[in-house]
Amino acid sequence: MDEQARAILQRVIRKIPNKKLQTALRAWDHLSSEQLESLDYAQPKWLFLENLISRCEENRLSLKDVTKLEMAYYIDNPSKGTWHAYQLFQAEGDAVSVNFTQFREQLKAHLKDVVRHVSVRTKKLEDGAVWIRIAWGDNFSKPNHLKPTYVVHYLQTSYVFVLNLMSKHKPFLYQALLLSTRHVSIKEAQLSSRSLTAMRDLLMRQYQQVFPTNQERTLKERNAPPSHPSIEKEHAECAERRHQMACEAFGDGVLPKLETAVYKLETKYRGNSNNTLNDKDELFRGVVMFSSSNLLESFRHCVSAGMAEGPVTPLLSSITQKGRNSFVITDKVPGAASQTPAHKA
Amino acid sequence: MECNALVVNTPAHRPDTRRSKSYGRSCVEPPSLFWQTPGHLTTLGHRIPTSRRAAKSHNITTKVDPEQVALLIKNEWKLSHVTPLYRFRHTQLKLYSKHLAAFIIAEKQQGVAVEVGVEAGFKVTFSAVLGIAETKEDAETVFIQVHSKPLFSADTPKAVWRGWLTCVNGDPEYLRSLPPDFVSLPLFCSSGPEYLTALVKSWFERTFDCSFGSLYLNSTMLNWLAALWTGCHPTSNIRYLKLAWNMPSQPPLDIAYTVNPQDAWELWNSIHTEDSTDDRINIEEVQLFMNGLEIHFFRHFKIYLSAGTLTKVSTALGSAHHDGKIKIGSSDYITTLLTLLTECALMKTPV
Repeated sequence: MDEQARAILQRVIRKIPNKKLQTALRAWDHLSSEQLESLDYAQPKWLFLENLISRCEENRLSLKDVTKLEMAYYIDNPSKGTWHAYQLFQAEGDAVSVNFTQFREQLKAHLKDVVRHVSVRTKKLEDGAVWIRIAWGDNFSKPNHLKPTYVVHYLQTSYVFVLNLMSKHKPFLYQALLLSTRHVSIKEAQLSSRSLTAMRDLLMRQYQQVFPTNQERTLKERNAPPSHPSIEKEHAECAERRHQMACEAFGDGVLPKLETAVYKLETKYRGNSNNTLNDKDELFRGVVMFSSSNLLESFRHCVSAGMAEGPVTPLLSSITQKGRNSFVITDKVPGAASQTPAHKA
Repeated sequence: MECNALVVNTPAHRPDTRRSKSYGRSCVEPPSLFWQTPGHLTTLGHRIPTSRRAAKSHNITTKVDPEQVALLIKNEWKLSHVTPLYRFRHTQLKLYSKHLAAFIIAEKQQGVAVEVGVEAGFKVTFSAVLGIAETKEDAETVFIQVHSKPLFSADTPKAVWRGWLTCVNGDPEYLRSLPPDFVSLPLFCSSGPEYLTALVKSWFERTFDCSFGSLYLNSTMLNWLAALWTGCHPTSNIRYLKLAWNMPSQPPLDIAYTVNPQDAWELWNSIHTEDSTDDRINIEEVQLFMNGLEIHFFRHFKIYLSAGTLTKVSTALGSAHHDGKIKIGSSDYITTLLTLLTECALMKTPV
């Protein structure tokens, strides 16, 4: 086993908790059951690693085999590192008929076309996710397996999720993806998170969406003075309305576990109405970052509890409606890349 | 309920038994913050300032040794307030160093301290940081460092804990009213392992008959800092004004709003126009400033920031967290920050 293989093995083994080591190695299926039995999983990691390396060398395992283990680790732990989402546009006619084999062969071929030394490994999971591991080299050097890029794509959808992509490799990956999925353009989707599952659920709408009901909820009705004498009933009605608005904006039931959302504000100042700043044309610049262990649930709770006013501002509901968590807010009329802030009351 | 201000005299010949904890009052009932009593100390803690002097940039290195200033700027400090120290002498610092070191070693051997290290022992240094005190009533700041002595004398001792006691622009009436044997250094800043902080506090409590308490910074204090620091932007680039709130949703939501420093200053300037004759800032102006930011935020996100808690304010000049943690970013405005914190400490000190 060469230096790189050893280094990768060391990194992966370090990351896997002791309790899960045995299952991970068994699933890897590159060591015999006797060899697996002979290892002491309670040892300190550095000692365990030495023994593991000698077993691997007995079997003459190579770099290729070790990268398989690394890939399995990332598949099992899709919440390591920061994933970024990309969206494919303008599908060609035959995009829908691309199957896994076609996709894989095309991707490998196109990558090898543009990057002389590149190592690609793919795996299709039961849920339809295609995982791709790319180790990049260049015209003169062999692929660097210590800094691989991981790509996840669900065939026939327009989303691609990427981990650890250097900007110099972006054009190569873009081109290869477009050609192999039969699309014309690809753009960053302004969505990034540590949790791949959350991003996937958000983009592919795999959460319970709540659609506006038929119940009349006009402005007039909401502002009408309460006619019913019982305060409890009114309060319940208000609470119900708030809850409804919250669910419409953010979904119902279990929500994708998004953790952050960032807004770059480039709008004019809208503070106290007496303030002279209100008349100025200059922007009141700032950046707002929301973070929580489950951002969408926090927002939903804020709205239903009254900490946030309903109906929910498009700035926040865009997270679920548009599937993104990074925004630039300007005062312009809504275009493709900007959002208007809520109107001044 | 009337109460006589009584000076507690501790005769020199009496052994070091438990002294009464009062330092100027003899009270029938335990002192309470809500209990108003006539006398010198009414002014303390019951008058919350509604206006302050604007932050002034001081080149403090003209007054204080720059090396000592550098020590203050490096770390994040955890704040406590402490009652006046009985018979603390700035001339005895070397003696205190030896005693505290011995105390720490003894406590460690008894197994009181939780951490087991490979230190052969501890070395403590008390030093006076001259020049931080502003008025003649302020006592000089005292800086304490605990070094761990390594096993091999070839290695240099490593500083494992640092702390300092200070009083900057303390309420002069209160300070003058203290009995002669008492020194007030109400603000205590510590940085390092918790077990050492506890040991240092314990030693102080035993030796000087004082008591420590955690100092938290409420939103009023944080609001003052936000306004004061923003006001400094023309002379000293604050680089950003970052405010952090925590909303009590489930799960809790953290909101960090980083305002462009020039824009923040424009807002502050529109509320508190620079007037060279009167450099005082009112609490109303501070509130208008914070309200302005909250309303601008609301207009975009429709979230009531007032439903949450302001937890942290930071600029390049420093940061303050409502848990009672501060970081001093620049020595230029250290006096203003310490004045505020001293006041905060004095207000919280049990009367």
